[in-house]
Amino acid sequence: MIEIQINGKTCTCEPGEFLLKVAARNGIYIPTLCHHEGVGEQGCCRLCLAEVVERGRSRIVVSCVFPVEKPIEVYTDSERVRENRAVVLMLLKERAPESEEIARLCEEYQAIDGSRFKALDNEKCIMCGLCARACQSLGTGAIATVGRGTGKKVSTPYDEPSKDCVGCLSCARICPTGAIPYKQDEKERRIWDRSFTLVRCESCGEIIGTREELLLAAERGGREPDTLCASCRQKQMADVLAHTYGLE
Amino acid sequence: MRKTVLICCGTGCRANGSMAVADAIRKAIREAGAAADAVAQVKTTGCNGFCENGPIVKVMPDNITYYKVKPRDAGEIIEKTVMAGETVSRLLYKNEAGERVRSQEENPFYAQQKKIALSAIGQIDPENIEDYIEIGGYEALKKALAMTPDEIISEVEKSNLRGRGGAGFPTGRKWRTAAGYDNYPKYVVCNGDEGDPGAFMDRSVLEGDPHAVIEGLAIAALAIGAEEGFFYIRDEYDLAVKHIKKAIEDAKARGILGDSVMGSGHKLNLSVVRGGGAFICGESTALMASIEGRVGEPRAKYIRSVQRGLWNQPTVLNNVETLANIPYIINNGGEAFAKIGTKGSSGTKVFALVGKVKRTGLVEVPMGTTLRHLIYDIGGGIIGDRPFKAVQTGGPSGGCIPESMLDLEVDFDTLSSYGAMMGSGGMIVMDDRSCMVEVARYYTQFLCEESCGKCTPCREGLRRMLEILTDICEGRGREGDLELLERIGHTLQDSSLCSLGKSAPNPVLTTIKYFRSEYEAHIREKRCPAGVCRSLTSFGIDKEKCIGCDLCAKGCPAGAISGQKKEPHEIDPGICIACGSCREACRFDAVITLGKGAARE
Ligand SMILES: Cc1cc2nc3c(=O)[nH]c(=O)nc-3n(C[C@H](O)[C@H](O)[C@H](O)COP(=O)(O)O)c2cc1C
Ligand code: SF4
Ligand code: SF4
Ligand code: FES
Repeated sequence: MIEIQINGKTCTCEPGEFLLKVAARNGIYIPTLCHHEGVGEQGCCRLCLAEVVERGRSRIVVSCVFPVEKPIEVYTDSERVRENRAVVLMLLKERAPESEEIARLCEEYQAIDGSRFKALDNEKCIMCGLCARACQSLGTGAIATVGRGTGKKVSTPYDEPSKDCVGCLSCARICPTGAIPYKQDEKERRIWDRSFTLVRCESCGEIIGTREELLLAAERGGREPDTLCASCRQKQMADVLAHTYGLE
Repeated sequence: MRKTVLICCGTGCRANGSMAVADAIRKAIREAGAAADAVAQVKTTGCNGFCENGPIVKVMPDNITYYKVKPRDAGEIIEKTVMAGETVSRLLYKNEAGERVRSQEENPFYAQQKKIALSAIGQIDPENIEDYIEIGGYEALKKALAMTPDEIISEVEKSNLRGRGGAGFPTGRKWRTAAGYDNYPKYVVCNGDEGDPGAFMDRSVLEGDPHAVIEGLAIAALAIGAEEGFFYIRDEYDLAVKHIKKAIEDAKARGILGDSVMGSGHKLNLSVVRGGGAFICGESTALMASIEGRVGEPRAKYIRSVQRGLWNQPTVLNNVETLANIPYIINNGGEAFAKIGTKGSSGTKVFALVGKVKRTGLVEVPMGTTLRHLIYDIGGGIIGDRPFKAVQTGGPSGGCIPESMLDLEVDFDTLSSYGAMMGSGGMIVMDDRSCMVEVARYYTQFLCEESCGKCTPCREGLRRMLEILTDICEGRGREGDLELLERIGHTLQDSSLCSLGKSAPNPVLTTIKYFRSEYEAHIREKRCPAGVCRSLTSFGIDKEKCIGCDLCAKGCPAGAISGQKKEPHEIDPGICIACGSCREACRFDAVITLGKGAARE
């Protein structure tokens, strides 16, 4: 166990625990964009900044990937943190002018004025890479971040429709700025230039997923593809149990 | 005594035709018959560092060095120098006083260097392990095998050697930390990615003295307990890859590497990995990702590679030049090394001195040598004796140092405290015809393209800094731009993920600091004082100085210059494209630099 000070408050944690987690446990909120529980850490949006003072030396760290190893003093709202965050948010806003989430954060954390710059056209993506990491962690790996520098982007291999994509929407749902477009009607879902047939619950008619997505899940689980939605499945289970045990 | 003809066959001399010179020399020996054959042996060596004067040919033990040798000179060199001991005066180097000098030691370019990392280069054939062994090669490894890891590390600690790859981290401390983990396997890696444009320090060492780097890496492996090591070499460096591969094979065949290093029972296997082809791949965590077969992108370095590096195992990564110093330290003792250079930065440093100096090339000098000494004594001063303006040190993310700071001693800490850095040893000299805003713009563009694009400050910050700098160079600079550049720059330093982003603002911040008025002239007066930024420049001719030689008109690609021979010429501002050819062509300093506005008036 180590004791650290966050904004003057004494907090305890295990060595190696990430600062963001320690702060959250102690009710101290630090804004994030590229962090998501269960998806490998990258520390790339640089929003979750904190100032760490150790033996009289101060530095800026990103709290989502900073492991606490020693008793340190942390400030999540110091002048230096605010200045850095204000610049980072301005940069994100000029990068993704269409994102409402970024505009909201800019307001909340008083981003500096970026009107001098030519904002990117029609852009919402902040290049946080969460979508690609989410897709990777599902084992599909249909999209990735490609290229470098300002040309970096998220795409399918060679920008062609990816055969690995199952249309599960994990990327679109995890995206903090809602930057991944998809379309869906009664029968079909379109994402990353491919269309997927939607499967509905045999009992209630609710959409349960794309055929490819259900097949993949079935294959992984070594079972037949689902035909019922989660709540009907539960209900059916309860019915079976009731029938078996005669609890009518 | 049998004579040795050493022919420089580094990449620079090869480009100037040294392989043909080597062939011609061999042929000349054959043609001169048995007598010549008995007296001469021919060796092709690594880079002598003075490539612009290559191909370089040395005759030993007479200690005569010839420059700019052509194949047709071969016969004369064999006949006169090798067989008769005479010099071929026209091939000698001419110093400032106009005297022809015989030996390398008398050449002002070499006279003031002190060579440790480069000491064997130019003396030995890098493809021949016997040559290396003959000059005492692998003695240090033998000695290290008789020492404990702790003794090896103590020696390196005593030497105060700091990493030559840029960051200057104490090598001994790095080894000590890695040795302290009980987590096997461990790895040693040599960083030969050298992505700085214009730099060729590491290439020369890898090409010219591969066994020294292998020996250094092998000693590192012994010190930390690693049995496997890698050379990560820039993909374009074909010759370096070839020489290192051959050297590894030869060392293995001789039992120096492999299952039992020099019969000690220690195992060590080394292999070569070709670089990922991006500047960022030289960064330690990106390099390791690349060796593991992943995309070369950095990761947050709160946990150091010495603890969790390659495949999450303890790993020591050292630069080529760092490793090339290790055999010297083990052979001569850490204290001997620590006596060279300054207190905080011991030993020597290799620099690639380029740009507007009379003598360019690779130079190795003790740490603490002043910039003035490097530029004026070794480099011979500015070409055409024009005024010095700035020297850019430390690679693309180094800083620009003005004239007033020429007496600074070059070492790890001095330059850093002025916002510049020694970095890996790039040194680009600029004269008064360089625009510092354009220089900052150029480096920012390079870094913007080479950023891996993973983190916001670096990717987006460089994009925006480049946008402002381009605007300033093209006449769209505004009040407030400099403050905004500084704010974004400071955020990059504070908040970027890796050192590329953290150091990327250096060129901009140092030029704003030391050349602010030049920025202001661009922004407020829409004028580029150096006459480089075309949108803000036009040229005129000083009628008093012009003698009507017509050289400027001949060189003008736009045909903007008119005038009778022997009469003052004139530039038509409507046609002038501000390329500056006339200014370069004029020998009478009659072409004057004007703002764009001045031309319109
Ligand atoms: C963008 C970037 C590029 C780098 N390129 C190189 C390189 O080409 N060669 C090198 O030795 N070090 C390079 N470094 C430094 C390495 O990360 C590392 O500090 C060094 O290899 C460690 O060895 P040393 O302690 O012997 O210097 C680079 C660092 C950064 C941030
Ligand atoms: S699309 Fe969304 S999740 Fe993917 S990189 Fe862009 S902002 Fe991040
Ligand atoms: S600082 Fe630049 S190069 Fe380094 S991780 Fe961030 S984007 Fe990549
Ligand atoms: S949430 Fe920590 S860097 Fe993005």
